[in-house]
Amino acid sequence: MGAVLAMIRYARFAILGLALIGPAACGTLGQSNPVSQLGGALLGLGGGGDAAAAPAPATSITREQVAAEPGKYVRVFTRNQERWDTNVQSGSNGNRSTWVDSASVSITFENGIVVATRGLVRDLMAADVSETSAAIRSGGGEAQRRHEFLTNMDRISTELLQCRIASQGAETIERLQTKQNTTRFEEKCASETLEFTNIYWVNSAGRIIRSLQAISPQAGYLQIDMF
Amino acid sequence: MPKGHRLMSSVAVLSVTIASGAVGQDLTATYSHFGTPGLLEMPTAQSAPEDAFAATLAYTDGLARVTLNFQASQRLSLSYRYANLDVYEDPASAGRENDIARGFDLHYRLNNEGTYLPAVAIGMRDFLSGGPFQGEYVVASKSIGDGLIVTVGLGWGALGTNGGFDNPLGNGLEERDGFDGSDPDGQLASGDWFRGDAAFFGGVEYQINDRWGAKLEYSSSDYPQVARGVAVPVDSPFNYGLTYRPSPGIQLGLAYLYGSQIGISGSFELNPNDRAGGSGLENAPPPVKVRAADLRAAQSWDRQALPDAALRNALRGLLKLEDLTLTGLELTDRTARVRYINNRYRSDAQAAGRAARMMTQIMPPSIETFILESERRGIPISAISISRTDLERLENRAGGTDAIRQSSGFGDAGGSEELIALERESSPFAWGLGPFFQINPYTGDGSINVDLGLRLQGVYRIQPNLVLSGAIDQSLIPPDDDPTGGERTPDIQNVRSDGGRYGNDGVPVLRRLSLTHYSRPGPDLYGRVSLGYLERMFGGVSGELLWKPVESPFGLGLEINQVAQRDSDMRFGFDEYDYDVTTGHLSAYYDLGNGYHTQLDVGRYLAGDWGATISVDREFDNGWVIGAYVTQTDMSYDDFGSGSYNKGVSITIPQDFFTGSASRGSYSNTFRTRVGDGGARLSVDGRLYDVVRGGHKADLSDTWGRFWR
Repeated sequence: MGAVLAMIRYARFAILGLALIGPAACGTLGQSNPVSQLGGALLGLGGGGDAAAAPAPATSITREQVAAEPGKYVRVFTRNQERWDTNVQSGSNGNRSTWVDSASVSITFENGIVVATRGLVRDLMAADVSETSAAIRSGGGEAQRRHEFLTNMDRISTELLQCRIASQGAETIERLQTKQNTTRFEEKCASETLEFTNIYWVNSAGRIIRSLQAISPQAGYLQIDMF
Repeated sequence: MPKGHRLMSSVAVLSVTIASGAVGQDLTATYSHFGTPGLLEMPTAQSAPEDAFAATLAYTDGLARVTLNFQASQRLSLSYRYANLDVYEDPASAGRENDIARGFDLHYRLNNEGTYLPAVAIGMRDFLSGGPFQGEYVVASKSIGDGLIVTVGLGWGALGTNGGFDNPLGNGLEERDGFDGSDPDGQLASGDWFRGDAAFFGGVEYQINDRWGAKLEYSSSDYPQVARGVAVPVDSPFNYGLTYRPSPGIQLGLAYLYGSQIGISGSFELNPNDRAGGSGLENAPPPVKVRAADLRAAQSWDRQALPDAALRNALRGLLKLEDLTLTGLELTDRTARVRYINNRYRSDAQAAGRAARMMTQIMPPSIETFILESERRGIPISAISISRTDLERLENRAGGTDAIRQSSGFGDAGGSEELIALERESSPFAWGLGPFFQINPYTGDGSINVDLGLRLQGVYRIQPNLVLSGAIDQSLIPPDDDPTGGERTPDIQNVRSDGGRYGNDGVPVLRRLSLTHYSRPGPDLYGRVSLGYLERMFGGVSGELLWKPVESPFGLGLEINQVAQRDSDMRFGFDEYDYDVTTGHLSAYYDLGNGYHTQLDVGRYLAGDWGATISVDREFDNGWVIGAYVTQTDMSYDDFGSGSYNKGVSITIPQDFFTGSASRGSYSNTFRTRVGDGGARLSVDGRLYDVVRGGHKADLSDTWGRFWR
C-alpha cells in the first residue's frame, strides 16, 4: 500500500515536472502560418502597382537554365545544412542586391561579398565590407570589416574584424562544362572573438564568380556561385 | 554524385571552420538533491552559470523534492522548493504522516576561486518561513586539478544537527527556537538565522569524464525525531552518489543516502542566453523596395491611376503574408498611417519592421512617412513614425538598427476618425479544442493538485474591441477530494482554499464566460470592462483604467471589481457560498531598466482584507521572465493561518525560444508557497498593462534588434 502511494506521489511529481517545460494549454484558436509569396499578393493592385518586386523563388532550376541566363541565378551551398539551392534576385538597394532561395533564406551582396543574410540560425544582420572590396580590386591588402549579428537577447552585437587579403595566384575553375580563368584570393579575418577565412575566385573582369564566405559561427560558411 | 557537388567540387575540399574566440569552459557545477549547486544534500560554494534556470526532481523513500533554481547574477542564486515528505507525527513518537513543505533558498558566493584561495559562499535554506529544512551555512570549495572539487562548510539549523557544537558566532546566538511544526508557517523566520548549534560538513566531487562524476559527502543533517520533523532515519552521515550528464543541461543522479536509502535525481537546466533557435529561423523579409531618385521628390500622387481602395486591398494582402492584419489605413500625399494587428511576432519591433518593408513595395513614391499603429484587443496601442528615406538608406547597413530607432518617432496612436477601417475578412467567430494542463495550488491542505483535460474555447468578436469569450473544461484526472476540507481558516471566507473542490465532479464545467470591452477614453488612457464568469471561482463585473504614456517607463492603473463566489460545481450558480465582495487595486508599474521591472498593487483582496503586493520581474529581452512577488494584508495572523503573507515565483518562457519560429505564444507558470485566503486577487483575463506594454517604447526598444530581422 505504501509503495502504491509512493508511486502515485511520484507520478504527480513527474507531471509537475513536465509542467515546467510543457505548455499550459493550447488550442486551435488563432492558428495560421501561410507561406510567404509576395508576388501573388501584389496581383490585387491596380495598374500603378509594380508587381516586379519579388518573383517567387524557383525551386527546380536546371543547369541549362542557369547557363542560358547569366546573371539571373546564384547557386548557394549552405554547408551546415548540407543544402544546395538556387537563389533569384528579390531586391536591390544601391550597389547591393538581395537574393532569395526556395526556403525563403535571403542573402544580400555588395560586389559579390555577403553583407547580410536572413533566415539562417544566426544571421549576419548587416556588414560594412567596402575595404575588402577595395583590397581585392587592388590585388590584396589590409581591410577592416564591421559585422553585426542578432544575439540571443535580440540585441545587435558588433564585431570589428581585421582582415588581410592576399592573392593566391591563378586558378582555372570548371563549372557547367566551361573552364574559367580566375585569380584566387584568400581573406583571413580576426576579431577578439571571431576568426574565419574567406576565399574568392575573381574573373578577368574583376567580378567574384565563386566564393566561400563565413556568415557566423552557428550558420557556418556559404559556398556561392554567381553566373 | 549530385550535380551541385560537381559544380562546387573545387570548393568542397576546403575544410576551414569559423572559430569562436571563447575559450572552452570547465564543466559546470552539478545540482544536489536540494536542487542547488552542491554535493548530495550539502551545498558547495559553486554557482550555476549566470541566468541559468534549473528544475531538479529528487526522490528517496518518504522524501520527494522539486526545486527551481535561478542564478540571478554571477554570484547570487534563488531557489523555490516544493517537497512532499513523511514527517513524524505530533507527539513525535507516534508515527509518520504525509506533509507538504515549500520554501525559498538564497545562496551568495563571496569571491571567485583563486589559485590558492577557495571560493566561499554563504547561504540560507528555507529562509523565509521556518520549514523543516531551515538551515544556514558558510561553505568553501576548492578545485584541485581538472576534475576534483573539495568542499568544507559550517552549518546551522537543519544543517547543524549532526555533531553540533556551540555556536562559534557566540554573543547571544546560542539559542535557536528551532523548527516547530505546530507553528503555522508563513511567518518571517529571521529570528533563527545563524542561531543555535553549528556543525561541520564536507565532501568531494570527482568528475571522471565529461559525462560521469562521483560524489562523497559527510552530512551535518541527521533529521532528528521531532514533531513534524522530516521522517528520514539517518544511520550514517556519509552519502555517496554518481552523476551522469547525457547531454548539456541534463544531469541524472543515483545516490546512496543516510546509510540505508537509494535516491534518484534529475536536473534540467535552461539558460535564457542559449536560445535554441539562435536569432530565429523565420522566413526572410522582403527587401526594401527603393524609389528611384526622381520619384522620391514627388509631392503628391495620382489617385486616379492608383486609387486608395486598390492600395488598401494590396497592402492588406501583403501584410497578411506576415500574419499582420490590416485594420485601418489613412493616406495623404506624403504620409501613410496604417493600423494593424500583429498575430505572429513576439517582438512588436520586428512586426513594425516587416510592415514597413511591405509598405515600401506599393506605397506611392511621394509618401515619405510611414506611421505604424499596433492594435490589440481592438484598441490602438502606440504609433511609430518612420521615414521612408531612412528605410532605404539604412537597410543592411552597419549601425542601421540603432540609427532607425533614433530617427523614428514614438507616441500615442492617432485618432480613428480619419482612418478608413477595413472590413473584416475572417469570421468573427473562432473556436478551438485542445488539451489543458493546470496546477492548482489553492487546496485546503496545501498540496498541489495537477489537472489535465480537454478545453473547448470559443471567441465571438462582436466588434474588434467587444469580445464574448468562454471556455469549457473536461478534466481527465479530476482533482482529489479534499479530505481536510476548507475549514483551516474558519473565520475567513474560503475564497481560494476551497479551490480543490471546484470542478471535481468529473463532468464538463464552465471555466469562464465573459464579455469584455476595451476602450481608449483619452490620450494615454486605456479602459477595460469585463462582465460574466470571470474565473473559476468568481463571477461579476471588473473595470479597469490605465494611464500609460508610450514613452514613459511609468504607468498607473485602477481596477475595481464587484464579484460573487461561484458554486463549486462550476455551472451558472452563485448560491452555494452567498458571498460577494468589492475588491480592487491601485497599481503602479515601473520599468527600472536593465531588464528589471516592478509593480506595486495596493487595495482590497477577495476575502475583504486590505494590503499590498509588490512584485519584481527579471525580464530578458528575448521574452524570458522570472519573477517573484510578496503580498501582505491586514488579515490577522490567526485568521490567515498558513501563508500569512503570500509569496511566489513565476516563470515565462516564449515559444520561439525553443522553436526558432516566430510566435507570440509562451509557456508560463506560477509557483507559490502555501496559499491561504488572504491576499488573493481576482484572476481576470486581459489586464490592460500586459495588453499595451509590448507596443510601448521600453518594450519596443528591448527587442529593437529584431526590426531588420
